[in-house]
Amino acid sequence: MTVLYAMSKTMTCAEFQDALPELFESHADVNAQEHLRSCENCTALVRDLEYIASQAKLLLPMHDPSPAVWEHIRQAIGQTPGEAQEHGGPQAGRK
Amino acid sequence: MERFVLMNSGPTPPRPAGHHMRRNPPIAGEEEAIGKAREGDARAFETLYAMHKRRVYSLCLRMLGNVAEAEDLTQEAFLQLYRKIGTFRGDSAFSTWLHRLAVNVVLMHLRRKGLPQVSLEETLEPSQDDGPRKDIGARDLTLAGSIDRVTLERAIENLPPGYRLVFVLHDVEGYEHNEIAEMLDCSIGNSKSQLHKARMKLRDLLHSGQRKEQIA
Repeated sequence: MTVLYAMSKTMTCAEFQDALPELFESHADVNAQEHLRSCENCTALVRDLEYIASQAKLLLPMHDPSPAVWEHIRQAIGQTPGEAQEHGGPQAGRK
Repeated sequence: MERFVLMNSGPTPPRPAGHHMRRNPPIAGEEEAIGKAREGDARAFETLYAMHKRRVYSLCLRMLGNVAEAEDLTQEAFLQLYRKIGTFRGDSAFSTWLHRLAVNVVLMHLRRKGLPQVSLEETLEPSQDDGPRKDIGARDLTLAGSIDRVTLERAIENLPPGYRLVFVLHDVEGYEHNEIAEMLDCSIGNSKSQLHKARMKLRDLLHSGQRKEQIA
């Protein structure tokens, strides 16, 4: 990341934004980039992108499929209802 | 182009234990259930369904935005799992393998529907003209602290399918780029590029929403 950091000293906004995907994926501290010290616009961009990524992590878990889905699967694979009931069926993993 | 429809049967290089996923740790009892399900044990298959139904369904729902379609595709994904589990060799994490199968089911469905907005080829293939729009002008709004779950979910629904898929797999589901590349049969660089474009597009969508709210 030394190279990226050194490059950023002379970066324009366009160059910085071109380099952003790699900066994010390198797990470097993007906010330490020299370009951001003097550019409010790119600072806001980085802050927004980091915020979006952090909020996305909060979206799990979602809902379970309805019991009808397993029922259809069970019928399709020819499993008898008794087997499902006997072992708690697919509902065992539900919250 | 069939690359996102066909399962890749080629060898996958082994990876160190614990490197599979950031937020997808091995599930207790999964390995035993896989082994038994491979031998045709229906009860073990039920166990696998119980373990993975929520994540497969969530992926389908986020990609389709429709409960009935998401349930249909969840069913189809698990039926394919039932038919193909004998081919699972453990080269990758089971959940990655299953997700790949589910992703292919979703992509086939989207293709049959005619893909709204942008084709997957456009969104998953890197293009010189397809880069994220530069953000040079000043903005008077910031997103931090202002986006609730519903707003973000709605914005994700409005992403083009290719962007949405990579964003959901990486930022929501927690898969690494090497796993996404394996699922989508694309390069790791392509996955990284699509993720960045997706985040940029989401930012635009969220800012647009904020401006509309201010005007209202």
